[in-house]
Amino acid sequence: MIARRAAAALLALAMTAGIAWLSRVPTNFGADADAVIRLSWRVEGVPVEACRTRTEEELAVLPVHMRSPQECASAIAPFALDVVVDGKAAVRDTVFPKGVRGDRPVYVLRNFPAGAGRTALSVRFEAVLAEGAEPGDGVATIYAWDGEVDLAAGDVALLTVDGAKNLVLRTPEAP
Amino acid sequence: MINRWKAQGGGLGVRALARLDAAFNGLYTWRFNPLYHSGALVVACFAVLLATGLYLLLFYRIGAPYESVAAIDAQWWGGRWIRGLHRYVSDLAVVAAILHGFRMFAQRRTWGPRALAWVSGLVLLGIFFVCGWTGYVMAWDVHGQALAVEGARLLDALPVFSEPLGRAFTGEESLPGAFFFMNLFAHIALPVGIALFLWVHVSRLARAQLLPPKRLLWGTVGLFAIAAVAWPPPLGPEADLLKLPATMPADWVYGFWLPVARAMAAGWVWVVGGSIALLALLVPVWTKPRAEKRPPPSWVNPRYCTGCEQCFLDCPYEAISMVDRDDGREGLVGWVDPAKCVSCGVCAGSCAPMGVGPPGRTGRDQLARVKDFLAEARPGSGDVVVVGCMHGAAGSVGSTAVATGLAAVDGLAGAPASAEAQEPRVFPVGCAGNLHTSVIEYLVRAGAGGVMVAACPPRDCRSREGVKWFNERVHHGREAELQDRVERRRIAVVYAAAGEGRVLRDGVERFRSRILAMEEAPAERDFDVGVECELDEAVP
Ligand code: HEM
Ligand code: SF4
Ligand code: SF4
Repeated sequence: MIARRAAAALLALAMTAGIAWLSRVPTNFGADADAVIRLSWRVEGVPVEACRTRTEEELAVLPVHMRSPQECASAIAPFALDVVVDGKAAVRDTVFPKGVRGDRPVYVLRNFPAGAGRTALSVRFEAVLAEGAEPGDGVATIYAWDGEVDLAAGDVALLTVDGAKNLVLRTPEAP
Repeated sequence: MINRWKAQGGGLGVRALARLDAAFNGLYTWRFNPLYHSGALVVACFAVLLATGLYLLLFYRIGAPYESVAAIDAQWWGGRWIRGLHRYVSDLAVVAAILHGFRMFAQRRTWGPRALAWVSGLVLLGIFFVCGWTGYVMAWDVHGQALAVEGARLLDALPVFSEPLGRAFTGEESLPGAFFFMNLFAHIALPVGIALFLWVHVSRLARAQLLPPKRLLWGTVGLFAIAAVAWPPPLGPEADLLKLPATMPADWVYGFWLPVARAMAAGWVWVVGGSIALLALLVPVWTKPRAEKRPPPSWVNPRYCTGCEQCFLDCPYEAISMVDRDDGREGLVGWVDPAKCVSCGVCAGSCAPMGVGPPGRTGRDQLARVKDFLAEARPGSGDVVVVGCMHGAAGSVGSTAVATGLAAVDGLAGAPASAEAQEPRVFPVGCAGNLHTSVIEYLVRAGAGGVMVAACPPRDCRSREGVKWFNERVHHGREAELQDRVERRRIAVVYAAAGEGRVLRDGVERFRSRILAMEEAPAERDFDVGVECELDEAVP
């Protein structure tokens, strides 16, 4: 009887402690690297209008009131992203604007593993404009950053676009 | 495989469950076995979470989430252990819910009218998880950050948000108060969903047992409070979006999926997680036995029904209603809704005129069966007849029953229990609540030395309330009561769950010694247990 009660109490304690322990297991979710360089920004898309001169035949089949000599389509240009880390090409990619119709802003979010210490970084983000396409006035089409990043273990360096439409670097030390 | 499982009358894991139940019964007695109360324990946890949550809410500030939680943690006399209790009990809730769901699964309480409880149970579990995650995000320590960042990554894989959520956690800007407001709102609104779905969850059940017995309730709350005082959960370092996560105190109940998900592409996480969820949601479909194996729903024979309403009161699934008669007679008649009936058979035991029950299991069917049984088994004055629920120890076909000497429990009515005369004869029933008391009367008056009813522990009754009603019928005069003329000394009840063959055997042995010490049991011949039916003569 006493042995049973003791066993019952012990098991109850063990189950309680077990659940409490499950609530607080020291865990390292395993960072992929010592440090990370993060590129993250959102820029307004570059609206471009591409126009083409219609041929005589094309004009002939159109109703009279629609026979404008130029055919124009407006779109948001994609961007080319070029990242070089320590002299090696890390990314060469095209980033398209979001949205079903591709008319939303352009977002970038990439993490690059880096070692602790100094890393050379060169980033170029440039609108891809079709031949003859004209970006609207005052729209930035090129963002670029070149320099060295100093990182301690566990740090995340953030490259982002500031209010003045420049790429800027933020680190835990210089947020 | 599935068909074999379905044919066994118990689900995958039913044997493991039986062993576990038996071990816990041995330690805590069936009355306080937490496994029998796992669903009710979740409700108890929910109540504790509401109470402790309200206290925490007084001090939480969305403008300074981490600092406010740290301040709560600094209240060594209050906030610290209340926060600890809130957290530990939220883990217990999920663990208990999973055990409860597993129990329902193993016992095949998954399909037909129970499908609603199954699906709403899964929804409840889902809400508990989401609510827990928002709770961790509220504290905004590194664990909350890990959950939020991974959650945002997964959500961004869905074509729902025009602005990726993940961008909130890149460190470009500090998190807006709106984020913590939304999170707090969700953390408070989700419990409303829990209450709502709990209502749906038990909506098909009569008299749902929402709380565990007091000693278990307060014992559990007390133990977890002690854990919260003695070993309060640590608050991790404050979240920092420009730092990689280091080792942190992580909750593996709510965060078990983090390491797995982080190693996978977001799309695959949805595919795998979605498949598992779908498989679980479709359990009512894939565990449903084939039509010919499905136990048929109960049915009221209006010829015998006197309109007494007892079955209507007793049905654990509220499947019976009283409706106007359409046979020209006055009054009401019972009517079973086949869509709500789980075929537990409890109504058959409640009907004095034996006018209701699933086909083959009504009181009348039982009486016919017991007559055959008596003709073949011929129990004498020194014999104990075990009337056993096939879900309990008497029905543990081929395993414990054999090992403990009840060799022929799988033989049906009339089969001699074994070559040795010492073995008790077993008269199987689907549930103690299905058993009509007239069967007991019949056995005793026919001269059996004793009748031992082997029931499952009341809280383990697959018909929910079968054992409860059985006891009332035998001991407290509930309709259809055991008649006074039946000698009570010759009747015994033992609670023996599926894994408790030994409990059953010991009970039988003790009862048999008592029987042998009594005078010889008188055997009546050509008697009638008197099926009450006032209307019987009135009907052609
Ligand atoms: C997460 C919160 C949950 C709570 C608070 C809860 C609570 C309860 C309660 C109090 C009962 C009534 C017990 C009785 O009176 O007999 C019940 C029954 C039931 N629960 Fe849950 N449950 C939860 C989750 C689940 C899950 C995850 C499942 C399965 C996936 C499940 C499946 C069932 C079924 C099938 C029944 C009906 C039992 C029967 O037909 O006899 N529940 N639950
Ligand atoms: S218990 Fe029997 S008699 Fe009474 S209402 Fe139900 S079916 Fe009719
Ligand atoms: S068999 Fe069970 S669920 Fe069906 S009517 Fe009878 S008591 Fe209700």
